[in-house]
Amino acid sequence: MTTQAWVFLGYFLVVFGIGWYSLRATRDETDYWIAGGELGWFTGGATMAATHTSAGTFVGTIGVMYTAGWSFGWVLLSIPLAYWFMVAVLAPRFTRQKELTIPAFIETRYYGKGVRGLAAGIILIATVVYIQAQIVAGGLIANTVFGIPTTWGMVGFTAILLVYTVVGGMVAVVYTDAFQLVVMGLGALFAVPLALRQVDGLGGLLTLVQSAHPLVFTWETMPATLLLTMGLSFFLGGVATPEKLIRLYAMKDMRTIRRGVLFAIVMILGINLLVFVLALCAIVLFPALSTGDLAMPMVATAVLPATLGSIMLAAITAAMMSTVDSLLIVAGSALSVDIYQNLIHPEVSLRRRMWVDRIGILIVGSTPVALLLSGVGEGDLVQFIVLLFTALMAAAFVLPVVGGVLWRRATREGAAAAMIGGVAATFAWEVWGAPTVEPVLCGFLVSAALFVGVSLVTPAPPASALEPYFEARTTSESA
Amino acid sequence: MSPPGFTFWGLFVACALLIAGYGAWMIWVERDR
Repeated sequence: MTTQAWVFLGYFLVVFGIGWYSLRATRDETDYWIAGGELGWFTGGATMAATHTSAGTFVGTIGVMYTAGWSFGWVLLSIPLAYWFMVAVLAPRFTRQKELTIPAFIETRYYGKGVRGLAAGIILIATVVYIQAQIVAGGLIANTVFGIPTTWGMVGFTAILLVYTVVGGMVAVVYTDAFQLVVMGLGALFAVPLALRQVDGLGGLLTLVQSAHPLVFTWETMPATLLLTMGLSFFLGGVATPEKLIRLYAMKDMRTIRRGVLFAIVMILGINLLVFVLALCAIVLFPALSTGDLAMPMVATAVLPATLGSIMLAAITAAMMSTVDSLLIVAGSALSVDIYQNLIHPEVSLRRRMWVDRIGILIVGSTPVALLLSGVGEGDLVQFIVLLFTALMAAAFVLPVVGGVLWRRATREGAAAAMIGGVAATFAWEVWGAPTVEPVLCGFLVSAALFVGVSLVTPAPPASALEPYFEARTTSESA
Repeated sequence: MSPPGFTFWGLFVACALLIAGYGAWMIWVERDR
């Protein structure tokens, strides 16, 4: 076996070990879906950062910077701002009453099973397609590392992900995420000095990169509207995507959340800045790649020595797996808790619930690979939705979630209209709108207009829906 | 070739300032607990 194969084998064994340990730590549904709601700042922050960092960071981001230059990097600043907003404004009210899923929050706040089913449906469809694209990336990595056909690689990755996620639920996801974050950090940390050595250090890099790409440090490579709306997309996606929100329920209390998010911000910024420097190195070392997406694989194979190169590939894999496992939890819970147990078969006994939960993850996890093997959703459609994923989630959930805990007057009908309208407007802009403005802007504005407009013309919510999130209205406070 | 200047170094400084700002806010929020 090659060095690469050994590194990957060791890596998978650690992941399985953690999955096995988590099975024993999972006693009930609260453990299975939100890790008992008792996570500390380190594990909570690590799983946030690992979930945030996907294969997109290691392949897509570096690819965009390779072509578009450094100004794209400034979009990064929207991420800490989004987390800060989430902790300071949203979390204190949102976490007063813990739920197992985000659609369950929607039902509590918006007093209706229908609107919960709607939220679960949007999450389910968007995540299954998103997972599909990540699995394709996994297949390609398996092909490079083990020399097996891409199809087998996709099946293999799905199997590995499903084994530990189905068995250990959120507990397994959290602890494997912490381990995968270490792998990602080490990969980026070791790669940068080695790549810098090839370009005569940082000073050499800064000179050479400007002769290879004269506009690299200017603001002329990307339209300002695109940079700003991309930042908005990252901000809104950071504030209210279900896989991030659910981690607020998983952490013990507000104090833990504040510390955990600080840790997550430091890790996300650190990993991204290291990856940005690698992108500059790629411009100097490989100035004529046909697509920016090849920049990272080129650095991993041609710049780094075999062992480090395989750690870098493992880092890309870790980024992919730690995002997909969190999406499996979100989609699996939408299917088994929000759709099956809530709408179809509410009388499931407590004992059988854990089985229903596991079958839910098994179904949402095998669907993407089954669709791919039967030739559905290969190529364009999947890429299309992946780019849209954050925008769709942001347009569907920011208003119902943030508005729901800040504005008493928000109603069930307003939330439903915001979700449907936001998703529809995002799609519409992607198809017909100007390419220099991200679709999230249109989706968000339509969603906001419908949320406020429809809420104001429909009957005010009952007191029972507001009681968990707002103080009783005895003081002079008005919302 | 001119040195990269603000576009390049500014991003690192801005990241550091944001982390420091968040940390200061955290201490301020928990000041009398």
